[in-house]
Amino acid sequence: MSQMIGSRRHFLATQAMGMGSVALAWLLTQEQVRGEPPKPVDVPKSFTLSPKAALAPPQANAMISFFMQGGPSHLDLFDNKPELQKHTGENFPGEIKYDNAAESSPKLFYGPWKFAKHGQCGMELSELLPGLAEVCDDITLIRSMHTGVNNHGQSIYALNGGRPTAGRPALGSWLTYGLGTENQNLPAYLVLTDPGGLPVLGVENWHNGWLPSLYQGTVIRPQEPRILNLDPPRQSPEGAQRRFLGLLENLNREHLAQHPGEHDLAARISSFELAARMQTSAREALELSQETEATQKLYGLDNPKTREFGTRCLIARRLIERGVRFVEICTGNQTWDHHGGIVTGLPDVCARTDRPTSALIKDLKQRGLLDSTLVHWGGEMGRLPVVQNEKNIGRDHNTYGFSMWLAGGGIKRGCVHGATDEFGHKAVENVVNHYDYHATLFYLFGLDATKIAFPRPTGLGTILDGQPGQIVSAILEKPPGVPQAG
Amino acid sequence: MLRITFRVLFCVVLLGRVALADEVAPAPLTFEAHVRPILKAHCWHCHGEGEVLKGSLDLRQARRLVRGGDTGTALVPGQSGESLIVERIAAGEMPPGTKKVSASELATLRAWIDQGAKTARPEPEQFIPESDFTDEERNFWAFRPVSRPAIPKVRQTEQARTGTDLFLLAELERHNLGFSPEADRATLIRRLSFDLIGLPPSPEAVDAFVNDNSPDAYELLVEQLLASPRYGERWGRHWLDAAGYADSDGYSTKDLDRKYAYKFRDYVISSFNTDRPWDQFLVEQLAGDELLAPPYKNLTPDQSEKLIATGFLRMAPDGTGDGEVEPQAARNEVVAETIKVVSTSILGLTVGCAQCHDHRYDPIPQKDYYRLRAIFEPAFNVPNWRNPAGRLVSLWHDEQYAQAAEIDKQKQQLADERLVVLDNVVAEVFERELLKVPEERRESARAAKATAADKRTPEQQQLLKDFPPLNVDRGSVYLYEQQKIADHNKKYDDLAAQLQTKRPPEEYAHCLTEIPGQAPATRLFVRGDINQPRDEVTPGEPSILCGETPAAIPLKSEAIPTTGRRLAWARHLTNGKHPLVARVIVNRAWMHHFGVGLVSTAGDFGFLGARPSHPELLDWLASQFVENGWSLKQLHRQIVLSTAYRQSSVRRTEHEAVDPENRLLGRAPVRRIEAEVLRDTVLAASGRLSGQIYGVPVPVAPDEVGQIVIAVDTRDSAGRPTGKTVSLGEDEFRRSLYVVAKRSMPLSLLESFDSPDMRPNCTQRGSSTVSPQALFLMNNDFLLAQSEQLARRIQAESSTDLASQLRLAWRLVCGRGASDVQIATGLEFLAAQTAAFAEGMPPATPDKPATVPDPALRALANYCQALLCSNRVLYVE
Repeated sequence: MSQMIGSRRHFLATQAMGMGSVALAWLLTQEQVRGEPPKPVDVPKSFTLSPKAALAPPQANAMISFFMQGGPSHLDLFDNKPELQKHTGENFPGEIKYDNAAESSPKLFYGPWKFAKHGQCGMELSELLPGLAEVCDDITLIRSMHTGVNNHGQSIYALNGGRPTAGRPALGSWLTYGLGTENQNLPAYLVLTDPGGLPVLGVENWHNGWLPSLYQGTVIRPQEPRILNLDPPRQSPEGAQRRFLGLLENLNREHLAQHPGEHDLAARISSFELAARMQTSAREALELSQETEATQKLYGLDNPKTREFGTRCLIARRLIERGVRFVEICTGNQTWDHHGGIVTGLPDVCARTDRPTSALIKDLKQRGLLDSTLVHWGGEMGRLPVVQNEKNIGRDHNTYGFSMWLAGGGIKRGCVHGATDEFGHKAVENVVNHYDYHATLFYLFGLDATKIAFPRPTGLGTILDGQPGQIVSAILEKPPGVPQAG
Repeated sequence: MLRITFRVLFCVVLLGRVALADEVAPAPLTFEAHVRPILKAHCWHCHGEGEVLKGSLDLRQARRLVRGGDTGTALVPGQSGESLIVERIAAGEMPPGTKKVSASELATLRAWIDQGAKTARPEPEQFIPESDFTDEERNFWAFRPVSRPAIPKVRQTEQARTGTDLFLLAELERHNLGFSPEADRATLIRRLSFDLIGLPPSPEAVDAFVNDNSPDAYELLVEQLLASPRYGERWGRHWLDAAGYADSDGYSTKDLDRKYAYKFRDYVISSFNTDRPWDQFLVEQLAGDELLAPPYKNLTPDQSEKLIATGFLRMAPDGTGDGEVEPQAARNEVVAETIKVVSTSILGLTVGCAQCHDHRYDPIPQKDYYRLRAIFEPAFNVPNWRNPAGRLVSLWHDEQYAQAAEIDKQKQQLADERLVVLDNVVAEVFERELLKVPEERRESARAAKATAADKRTPEQQQLLKDFPPLNVDRGSVYLYEQQKIADHNKKYDDLAAQLQTKRPPEEYAHCLTEIPGQAPATRLFVRGDINQPRDEVTPGEPSILCGETPAAIPLKSEAIPTTGRRLAWARHLTNGKHPLVARVIVNRAWMHHFGVGLVSTAGDFGFLGARPSHPELLDWLASQFVENGWSLKQLHRQIVLSTAYRQSSVRRTEHEAVDPENRLLGRAPVRRIEAEVLRDTVLAASGRLSGQIYGVPVPVAPDEVGQIVIAVDTRDSAGRPTGKTVSLGEDEFRRSLYVVAKRSMPLSLLESFDSPDMRPNCTQRGSSTVSPQALFLMNNDFLLAQSEQLARRIQAESSTDLASQLRLAWRLVCGRGASDVQIATGLEFLAAQTAAFAEGMPPATPDKPATVPDPALRALANYCQALLCSNRVLYVE
């Protein structure tokens, strides 16, 4: 026993010496690392994934982010504009920036989908989102998002990293850096990628930037091996790896016997045992057969259309249950980038994702997890009120005004926040910039977005990086400054 | 058991501290020896160094404590309970901030006061910080000249082969210990191979050595390894750590490539291989440019090499090529980081903190920091800064310039033609789009388009807004004519590429040079703030090192066109009398042979560093090193031919009881191999290792999940994987030191095994034991592929008999034979795994043959992998 304690301490000590690692670097057993200072140190001296207490009592302690890359059309899903309907076909009267000049047109275009009010809150949503309509009393819809950088890459950088430039840490990296993770046998930050390929910016979407690589996201791939380095090699039958580890331990014990007292050799043997446990934990988290038929059905696993996305939503819930800090669910490369073909394309992707998404909200709620889990749904932009490509109707980029929604983790229920102008072109009322979103998010996790920092040659790096991020109090159940009951 | 593990923990984390603890406080206490270092570290920033003394209190001398400040005396000799300084510290009020005086420091302070607050000698009335060193500081071991100690007498003379042995043995005997028995031959050749060339010995080499009965077999083996070109790669890598070698600029997130930094890497490798004398090696790195005369044109290979050597001073991160960084701060950072590299690698001193204030622990006043900086100021030249590209010096000769000029002329013609053709397409598209405009407005539209954007009338602007497709230009025309523009681009790209092949390849030295006549003044920056320059300083070494023969560093040399400051300093460092230079490199070499240096903190010989475990041995080796013409290979011989080096690494009870950390070296250490050695070893075993020496680095790129692997980056412009792979051929399997050292993309395999993070350099690597390493070894593609490759090699080189195959696996991977029991266990394993893999295999059909290797091969590969990640491979005994 004493040897075991010693070796764990040894792991920690060596880890603290500046061990960086790849996607899989999360640290060891929890009980050893509880002795950290009660307040988060804004710049930790050593880097681990051990859980850290937040600065203030957190309302959220985990996050699931639906990253709908490409730019879902807010005008056809979330933001109904009677004026647009009235003037459809007429020329847009103001300034407009096109990304694609060749197919550009100033003609206003109102989509063919009906909007209706839902829930007790009366949230107006498109008929393309019947699932979301069922849970709209649990979400806050923001209709006034703004990044102002009009192409995919830059706007993703802004929303995910704080500024429209490359090389900065992703949101999930920040949260795991600030808070560590509850389950040391699973990666802290997991990304469920789509079989349709990686989103724009590829692996940069979960890159740790200039934070230690310990905080990089780990990908759960759509095919085997699901987690590189964590899953055993392909087509490895049951028992084969166990036998492999047995042989290895046998070799190492025999070697250790020739070097009695050589501590690091013993620690190495333990490290393989721990690795094997991590492998088992990850496998177990991805194993859906333990879920009831009702649950599987809720997520649409019985329907070929929704099975794939539903599976990932269900995995996300299982990961959160097991203490993972940040889970991202991606749609594929430019899935929502409807420059053309929106009339068939948009209903198709909604049909694939809407039911499973709302199932996740329902399931989290019924398990009591929604209160502490922040759910985010959104892309990096919305779309223009004018038509693109009249021969195959679509809409061009718009980062000046678009919608996204949040739920759980201290977010108001049944709330609509902000508004775009009469045609849905620009956010005009209660504008939420990417940095406001970040300030709000950090607040919900009990963190201060201006203070969680990492030393850089140029000074302390933060997600806000000096931008005037404001906490969006209007969408919070418990805004800052309001005493918390009980 | 617990005790031992804790001791190991200390060994890993706190080596320096343990040695220090022995030296604490034999009474009587004096201000100079015991109290001053505490006050200097915690208090002087406000109560001593600043232009204004906080509370008018100065804590730099005992008598000034008595004199006190605004609130009266700080110190009542003999009565710590009455002394304000104790009261304020004990109450936690002082020092402000999070870094507090420790309990033991406070106890020392109290005890000193209670003993009467003695000073070692009368305190002077005046101080000049640069020369106000205490005798304790002046006499600190690292600042004293290197001695030539007498060789000690030992009892067990038969155990000693070299001078090194005598020093170590004398110390062991003092503890009634001696050396361990010699390790067996297979262990020795493995140890020597890893140490000297960083690769495992081949089975043939092991056999030859084990069976060589000649008396000088060991010596011959050492000579053979020192003569191998692999030696320079192995030991060059060690120096590249200290130099902070990187193939990218770092600093900002752009992390721009340094395309020609690799020439410095190659210079280092070749210097080790040719045993370039260390003094010459240092002079060339610090001032190779000053050995030549500018302008640097039509250089001979030897001259080029001297310029390339100064790449050492261009290794620090340099963000000034990124237009988005704040230039003044970024420039300053380049100079500051270079000083860190130079001081930690060559002097073994951490002078960096004296950039902002007097060094808290070492006798390095802030002014001395800037004197050191002044040596480098003319070359870096902050006011007239050259960014990284601007510092490259072309290695072309006149004829290559002429060839290039001719090709460039043709390229320009081609580029002009390309634009004319493109403009024609733009015009065509415009005319076509114009047809969509009502006829009566077409002429106005044409006129609007022809008008410069900022000169258009409101009507013209509106017209173009009503018909946005009219805004076609060179940049957007591809959206209208995708195929045509793609063809156009391909045609001209190909033509340009053809021309490019005729142009001589670019060759540059990534180096530091000085422009004659430019030598900006160096000023002390108050609190290190570049916006608060103060007094001008002249170039010089840190005063504490000056001793009897201070370095004569001119403001401007009369002999050469540049200032000659770096050259003068380099000559001074290598004059054979410097207290640190030889000690530091000898200690680094020792560290790489024994895992821990004689000074366990290889980059810090100062007060916070460790004290030497064998100070006389260190000095003896250092003085021998200089006498032997600064030959590193001779130093290796001193070390590896010793009895001490050849000992077994098995722990012995009698030795453990006295010296569990093995500071006395009564046995050889067990060490984990470094990241690069691990990868190279796997490739050597599988037979894939490429022997290609020197040249452009092997590229890395993220794979589909973001791990950094060896590959050509084929992501598209939006960062998405394209699925394309570009074969690197044999280059994929080059030694790890040839893998590009891009700071923002460390190769994942190497990073997880503690490859250095060059911010700005690494004087000592960590060695961690964590589970992600285990996962990597179990499941990573590289390990799996090379294990399979090794299995194929074994099947090809051995008979079909499985036991023979296993024996060969052991010889290839572990450098020794396997026991019968091990073979029996292995055969059982192979049988069980083969059966399991066969069962799990999808049946092969005539039209769809099995895509996975056959079960027997997989089982053997699996066995090989277990060997490759076993402790026998991961550790050198």
